Amino acid sequence: MKLDFSCVWQYWPFLYHGALLTLKMTAICAVFGFLLGVLLSLVKISKWKPLIWFGRFYTSIFRGTPLLVQLCIVHFGLPQLLGVTFTTTQSGILTFSLNSAAYISEIFRGGIQGVDKGQYEAAQSLGIGYKDMMKDIILPQAVKHILPSLVNEAIALLKETSILSYIGAVELLRAADQITVMSFRFFEPYLVIALVYYVFVMILSALANRLERWVNRSDRVA
Amino acid sequence: MIELRNVYKNFGKLEVLKGINFTIEKGQVVTLIGPSGSGKSTILRCINLLEQPTKGQVFIEGKDITVPKVDVQAIRKDIGMVFQHFNLFPHMTVMENMTYAPMKVNKRSKAEAEAKAMELLKLVGLTDKAGAYPGKLSGGQKQRIAIARALAMEPKIMLFDEPTSALDPEMVKEVLEVIKGLAHTGITMALVTHEMGFAREVSDRICFIDEGLILEDTTPDQFFGNPQTERAKSFLEKVL
Repeated sequence: MKLDFSCVWQYWPFLYHGALLTLKMTAICAVFGFLLGVLLSLVKISKWKPLIWFGRFYTSIFRGTPLLVQLCIVHFGLPQLLGVTFTTTQSGILTFSLNSAAYISEIFRGGIQGVDKGQYEAAQSLGIGYKDMMKDIILPQAVKHILPSLVNEAIALLKETSILSYIGAVELLRAADQITVMSFRFFEPYLVIALVYYVFVMILSALANRLERWVNRSDRVA
Repeated sequence: MIELRNVYKNFGKLEVLKGINFTIEKGQVVTLIGPSGSGKSTILRCINLLEQPTKGQVFIEGKDITVPKVDVQAIRKDIGMVFQHFNLFPHMTVMENMTYAPMKVNKRSKAEAEAKAMELLKLVGLTDKAGAYPGKLSGGQKQRIAIARALAMEPKIMLFDEPTSALDPEMVKEVLEVIKGLAHTGITMALVTHEMGFAREVSDRICFIDEGLILEDTTPDQFFGNPQTERAKSFLEKVL
């Protein structure tokens, strides 16, 4: 058995564009997922029962069904229902952001509830309003505690973008598929994209480490 | 300045305050004393609405703050509170802790807020800690910063909720000195403390609380020298 990577180099523009799309989707969905997730976590800790129920229902739907099924419903199902068609990128962004938000909201809810209640009381006693209190006092402390979980979520997101290949988006996995079709070699293209995913995840972890150190700067000697 | 009128507070089935009536005049220092669980802290927390009374009224400068639709934030910004566990914001430096609320709530400029903060740091003797994070301070230093942070809002009233109870013994004095320095400077003060000598020295009045009621409301000399109720007598015997 001989390995021949020449096919990979021959078709490298496929991989390059695939990798770009993978990164782009990850970045966009991470940002939207994060923002939506924070909002949703605030919904879940609100005092108004219907809001709480909505938050719980939302999360249970996105956690209780496979991501691939959600993607199919959005990409193939919604057009039939609404009469609008989404590009693969749009469907991807919509599905992954909504899905990610469900998980991130749970992470945030835990993080927020883990902040000492004395912090709320101190902020309140200083006359600080709810919005500023959450934004500047509570959430920064919550983020600090949940950063490792958020990084896990980002890494999961990066890898899960591979299922976009199912609806035809040419991200890394689909790019490799195309190379296999053209070159009739399977092992090499898949091995190479596995490596590319791995390197991306390593880079993400390294960045997260630096971020974690920065967030924890208040624990160091000033 | 502060008036509680027939204040009740329940936590579920537990009745913590059972009809509290008392007033604190402007500039006065009043200390609440009593066994733990008697409701002292709850009384303080009703003054800035960290607890909403179940029944009864609380007046600040003649204004009933227990009516619905009251602007809670506007009331709280004039009432500083110092907590047993300091509750400094751990992710902010000392300076940021002290300037955040003045800038956000009182709309001070950064320069104004920082100048005021430095002045207060001088008052509590910690000018060298402006750039430090709370995690690097001793308990006594944290509490002095917490006092300075509350003062940075230029409150008319200061509430102290067992400010030295979480401190190592050798740090109690430095905090009490700061509080003593504030007494009778025009600011109205309500304290909950177990430091009897300090309470006697600094207070205009002592209120003895037991099981959600004020049993004695009198001068320090009268209270410590000649307590009227059996409960106060037996309490003082145990703590003095």
